[in-house]
Amino acid sequence: MRKKTFAAAALLAAASLTLTACGSGDSGDSPVAVVSEDTARKAATVLDQPFEKPDLVLTDTHGRKYDFRKETAGKPTLIYFGYTHCPDVCPTTMSNLAVAKKQLPKAEQDELRVVFVTTDPARDTPAELGKWLKGIDPAFVGLTGDFSTVQAGARTLGISIEPTHKDKKTGKTVSVHGTQVIAFSPKTNAGYVLYGEDASVDDYTKDLPKIVKGQNP
Amino acid sequence: MRRLLPTALAITGALALAGCGGSGGSGGDRPELSVSASYMPQPITGEMAAGFFTLTNKGDVKDELTSVTSDAAGSVTMHETVGQSMREVTSLDVPAHGQLVFKSGGNHLMFEKLKGKPKQGEKVAVELHFAKSDPVTVEMPVKSATYNPATGH
Repeated sequence: MRKKTFAAAALLAAASLTLTACGSGDSGDSPVAVVSEDTARKAATVLDQPFEKPDLVLTDTHGRKYDFRKETAGKPTLIYFGYTHCPDVCPTTMSNLAVAKKQLPKAEQDELRVVFVTTDPARDTPAELGKWLKGIDPAFVGLTGDFSTVQAGARTLGISIEPTHKDKKTGKTVSVHGTQVIAFSPKTNAGYVLYGEDASVDDYTKDLPKIVKGQNP
Repeated sequence: MRRLLPTALAITGALALAGCGGSGGSGGDRPELSVSASYMPQPITGEMAAGFFTLTNKGDVKDELTSVTSDAAGSVTMHETVGQSMREVTSLDVPAHGQLVFKSGGNHLMFEKLKGKPKQGEKVAVELHFAKSDPVTVEMPVKSATYNPATGH
């Protein structure tokens, strides 16, 4: 009988091993555990060393010169680097910001600057950008211009972008956008809060009332 | 009783193979695919939209998603995300006893030149084509532009 028990135990052990082995191969399981842990985390990262505003002088959706530092001085400001031929993260991020912004009191909505800088200026002309942003929030600012200016500005915020290009091996299009939204304080003009692509409408809705006042979320 | 132990071990060995070794080949078996959690966030314009879903394969054999078509769009392509770069791919594996997950920030479908702009509440019919299995049609519900499957709103 002892051996039978042992055999059963071996079976159980083997079965659980099998389960473990399958679980790790299955992209569904382990990340889920991480995500549920993540719901307790905050979407916002308050930066120990805030970013200086990038020196970006570009063209807005009306075709006018837009000096980012000058236009947003003393205003709560959010910046994001993306492109309009982007099906997934860019429209979601901008839509999240638009919906959260609408829940601020009107006066604070008017103060807030949301700036979308294109990483694909070859396709995102002022008119294209304007058409796209109108579908999200007509008050959002869209900027386009020289790719190297955009890239240099993004780099000062720790965001690396590349021009949209064809992969040498496959010939397929490769596009790169930022996933970060950076919030600048109206008090110090410093970029002091960072959001990743996981930040939801609820996160922004909760945090924007503080950000418009330059407080830590 | 002596015999029981090796037999039991042999059985568990076989179970383990059946559980994980899709490629270990109990030949003739087929992938068994099902689709869940499909949605399209309401797009900004009719030019560009994304689509997400989960493909589950309960079979012992892997399959490959080789193309996606939709009468609602001029073209549908598959993209994977590596770091912050999005690249188009021509096929994606659906592992035996595993899943292929399309989700925001990861694999996604890209719809271009849509015939009209899909609105929240509507459905977009999409056909998935595979290397081994027959095509599967998915009625993809259009959710809000800010829909988050984790919270369901």
